[in-house]
Amino acid sequence: MKIVKIIVLVLLVVFVGIQFVPTVHNQSERTPKADFMLVNDVPKDVKNKLQISCYDCHSNNTQYPWYSKIQPGAWFMENHIKNGKEELNFNEWDTYSNRRKKSKLKSIINQIKDDEMPLSSYTLIHRDAKLSENEKKEMIQFMKQLRDSL
Amino acid sequence: MRKLKLSMGVLAIAFAALTVMSCKDNKKEHDDSDGHHTEMDSEVNHMEMKNESEEHHHEDADDEHDGGSAAESRDIKVSTQKNAATSAIIDGYLQIKNGLVADNKDNAAKGGTALLAAFSNFDMSQLNEEQHKSYMDIVEDAKEQAEHIVKSPIDHQREHFETLSTDISDLIALLGTDKTLYQDYCPMKKVSWLSETKDIKNPFFGSEMLTCGSVKKQIN
Repeated sequence: MKIVKIIVLVLLVVFVGIQFVPTVHNQSERTPKADFMLVNDVPKDVKNKLQISCYDCHSNNTQYPWYSKIQPGAWFMENHIKNGKEELNFNEWDTYSNRRKKSKLKSIINQIKDDEMPLSSYTLIHRDAKLSENEKKEMIQFMKQLRDSL
Repeated sequence: MRKLKLSMGVLAIAFAALTVMSCKDNKKEHDDSDGHHTEMDSEVNHMEMKNESEEHHHEDADDEHDGGSAAESRDIKVSTQKNAATSAIIDGYLQIKNGLVADNKDNAAKGGTALLAAFSNFDMSQLNEEQHKSYMDIVEDAKEQAEHIVKSPIDHQREHFETLSTDISDLIALLGTDKTLYQDYCPMKKVSWLSETKDIKNPFFGSEMLTCGSVKKQIN
């Protein structure tokens, strides 16, 4: 009994302790001119879905959920955002060469089609980020069209 | 009673910590300078891109298929200029290809590492200005594909290999090679790949569909 209490206490202290570890917040007020939605003519539905389902990790501006304010949720988020932006940053779209745009679009299409993106760990809490079959189709169709126009 | 006090104390600390955290939130990072940077970059790139589209109007024969190649802009000539400088790059590419043919993820990944090394060892001083620009454009993309091939599961490696195949064949069209190569075509994926052997060994499906495809062109 005593041991259980000690363990709980230790866990609590650790939990409190890690709250003091700082994290970098991915937020910026301005949208760069190179942004995907600014340089491309994106239909409204696709735009909405991109913002909700993709931009949290693939842009310079994250809509932070409540759990990201508490560790270890914040670390989890921070890591996802770092990796996400490395792979693809919609805010920097127009800085990519045509060749890279095409290969990014190809990856976007494949990731959506294979249900690899948005990440299931993300949609678990962000229910609204989940893409329905219809939304997937719409998004893929747009991305294909865009790729062919490049 | 003492225990109660203790747990109350811990809870109080926890609460205080959370308050501190939420205060910190208000000090969001303003990366204005960064934003600026991006804008300038994009403007420069705009200009470059314009130049490029004037240079080669490419005919995408294979739109509408998502398996289609990423940027088919150059055709390899049946006889290229004999250039040994691209050998290490091609060897890295072929190592990836042979890994995928054998369903061997680790060997494909090793090929990716070899390819990355070949790019960083490549002597760019022999390129003229225009070649240099095209080379950088191709390699920037190819490196990204190679990095993914190094760290991904095999089906993902194969996806990136599709794009990489276009990049490498564009590179050969640009700079040439002294190797004899075969450009093969996969009708299922609607993409081409390069091989050092005349026999078809399809890297996109491995043992599932090893002999599917046809030789489109012999190079050198």
